[in-house]
Amino acid sequence: MGGNLDGIRVLDLTGEPGFLAGKLLGDLGADVIKVEPPAGDPARRRPPFWGDVPDPERSLVWLALNTSKRGITLDLSRPRGRELFLELMRRIDVLLESELPGQMAARGLGWAELQTRNPRLVHCAVTPFGQSGPRAGWRGSDLTVSALSGNLYATGDPDRAPVRCSLPVAYYHGGIEAAVGVVFALLAREESGRGQHVDVALQEAMVMPNIGSAAMFQMIGLRGARAGAFMRQVNGVAREIWPCKDGFVSFALRGGPARVPGLVAMVQYMGEHGMASESLEERDWKSHNLNLLTQAEIDDLSRPFAAFFLTKTMAELYEAACARNLMLAPINTAREIVASPQLAAREFLVDVEYRGRGSLRYPGAFARTTSAHPEATRVGIRRPAPALGEHTAEVLSELGIGSTELARLRAEGVV
Amino acid sequence: MTGLFAGTSILEFGGGAAGPVATRYFADHGATVIRVESRQRPDFLRVLRLTPDTPGGLDGAHHFAVLNANKLSVALNLARPEGVAVARRLALRVEAVAENFAPGAMAKWGLDYASLVRERADLVMISTCLNGQTGPHRFYPGFGGQGSALAGFNHLTGWPDREPVGPFGTITDSLSPRLAALLLASALLHRRKTGEGQHIDLSQVEGGIMCLSEMIVTYTANGELLGRQGNRSRHAAPHGVFRCADEGRRDRWVAIVVHDDDDWRRLGRALGDPAWALDPGLATTTARLARTSEIEQRLEEWTRGRTPEAVADLLQAAGVEASAVEDFGDLHEDPQLAHRGHFRPVQHAVLGRHPVETHAIRFSAMAPRIDAPAPRLGEHTEHVLRDLLGMPADEFARLRDAGVFE
Repeated sequence: MGGNLDGIRVLDLTGEPGFLAGKLLGDLGADVIKVEPPAGDPARRRPPFWGDVPDPERSLVWLALNTSKRGITLDLSRPRGRELFLELMRRIDVLLESELPGQMAARGLGWAELQTRNPRLVHCAVTPFGQSGPRAGWRGSDLTVSALSGNLYATGDPDRAPVRCSLPVAYYHGGIEAAVGVVFALLAREESGRGQHVDVALQEAMVMPNIGSAAMFQMIGLRGARAGAFMRQVNGVAREIWPCKDGFVSFALRGGPARVPGLVAMVQYMGEHGMASESLEERDWKSHNLNLLTQAEIDDLSRPFAAFFLTKTMAELYEAACARNLMLAPINTAREIVASPQLAAREFLVDVEYRGRGSLRYPGAFARTTSAHPEATRVGIRRPAPALGEHTAEVLSELGIGSTELARLRAEGVV
Repeated sequence: MTGLFAGTSILEFGGGAAGPVATRYFADHGATVIRVESRQRPDFLRVLRLTPDTPGGLDGAHHFAVLNANKLSVALNLARPEGVAVARRLALRVEAVAENFAPGAMAKWGLDYASLVRERADLVMISTCLNGQTGPHRFYPGFGGQGSALAGFNHLTGWPDREPVGPFGTITDSLSPRLAALLLASALLHRRKTGEGQHIDLSQVEGGIMCLSEMIVTYTANGELLGRQGNRSRHAAPHGVFRCADEGRRDRWVAIVVHDDDDWRRLGRALGDPAWALDPGLATTTARLARTSEIEQRLEEWTRGRTPEAVADLLQAAGVEASAVEDFGDLHEDPQLAHRGHFRPVQHAVLGRHPVETHAIRFSAMAPRIDAPAPRLGEHTEHVLRDLLGMPADEFARLRDAGVFE
């Protein structure tokens, strides 16, 4: 079973901030080996648990983003564990880790040391703020790095605190960024024959989600402002998230050549249900520009849309949106996503089998490829998330550690 | 240009953020990224705030400028067969093609992978759109706002007692270019090793959902729908954002995260061990999760008179995780972003000197470089067609006079 990264061997030491990075490399065909301390990654002890059974093999946080990896245990705090780790360094292409800066070096496992063992090694570190600089020593996690990105300040209701997404978006951004960095470094190695250190900062990775607004501040002076379910226009705010019969939908009254056809089609759709006012049907949509309206005019314009959406379900509105090219989307929960006919047609959701525990349905291939040899470029889940230490014997024997040696390491508690 | 991708050219069709941000990763490491554009159908970022008074017209758009530095622009009218023919010659010449039009648009011009690969077996090409190139909803039109709603990000963002809000910037518009860069880079590595090309179909919605795997498996395993929790965590308390002293008319906030019981004791000491923090009934995470509102109120009474920077400095020095909430203006004075050189100045013909951003990766053996501002529409038509494609002068003049470069 191939993939674009076929033949690349990755050792993944990361905690939750780096889970996605290793999974992506694995989904692209790399042989990713998750290294956990003998007690297991802390994420294994966090709820929610599959079937509500508290068990290190049932933590959904762990299971979610550690697919496509094998798993071994190794105690890096013991001298023999450290030696073994350095031995492994000679035989791999990529090391992924998310220790705070200096912690690997303090154990004699810093980049300078690793580089001498394996000049071809790519060592990628995902940290809150990066390896150096005034905040390199600061602690940080999803909420605090997002706070320092401008993105948090601009998200939420105007009368409450800035608010984050309830799952750690900073780790997703940083995880993908790390995978990009690793592949760039592998491409560079093809030319130079040498690996390098790749330093990914979560704070910096969260600035790009502002899609240029951070850089634009220097030109237009906008610091960002929260508008909740609304979006700021020149003279006021216009609703973008609307209650409907069974949930919410996203729909904008903004103008412009890309959006006007959808507005016209929406008014037509409302008209068929007798819910488009005369003024809506007679409106000159071609010249419609929300930025030229007063707040009172925006409110008047919004009213019939608000009333119409309340008579329809998310599914009804999205079906109409797909059939009529309306720029409207349901505010999906996992329930709507799992039931999506589009995702079903693309066979996006896949069942992953866990021996003795049943199968679990996952988001599968995050991209599809077409090529002369499709298996050689396939993207997607390669294997279930590993049980604790599941592949220790297998991996160590591949790396030249014999069974006698393994038995001794087990007895010493190193693996 | 020097760098990892010196000598590598990427042809880019499309606009907005989801496509063009992806190729910036390559441009910042030396790739020649050539945008195919037209005055007849300009990138929507060039017209987003366009009025008859905009200095520079299509070349004066701030939003386009901050996202498209380091690229070349070739003007080709794809409504003209001669324009399509030139685009095709370029596509067959470059190392990779990236596009984010609606599905079917490239095929209409004969610029899709199936057409191009017949003449270039090792073609590497990526297509990204909202719902992917196949399936019943493939033609569904939309921007990142819809992508974020469809993928589940809006549902997860906001307060449990309020309606959902849009995450600023939509999230899918920034996750998908990163995934596109990863896929394109991995395809180039694969070709380098095997000589084989490929076409990549990236659905922005699927990419977002894959990142939210925790939300999906929590539902498929237990039937549980994760929802909005404000800034709280199910695993730690306090975990929130607290009001500080206003700065003029600006509201200022600080984020504070207490991961475990040791953090809690350190927080209490940093605050001078007030009686409420010494309450043995708050010593464990379980206990604090049950009384989060009370803790949040106490903490905010303490932060309310302080600046977020003072709170963060004090708590970080005590080993407690905290950081100021910065707005877009604050980022330009952020010492850590300055240390990493996140913002880089460029000189733009219409907009003057302005900053652009680079990615969040620093390599030990190569550095991102931004050598040029975003291009004016068609600024490099002659350079690219004459110098890179080798088009004879008379052919160039004939096409120009026929309006193909409009």
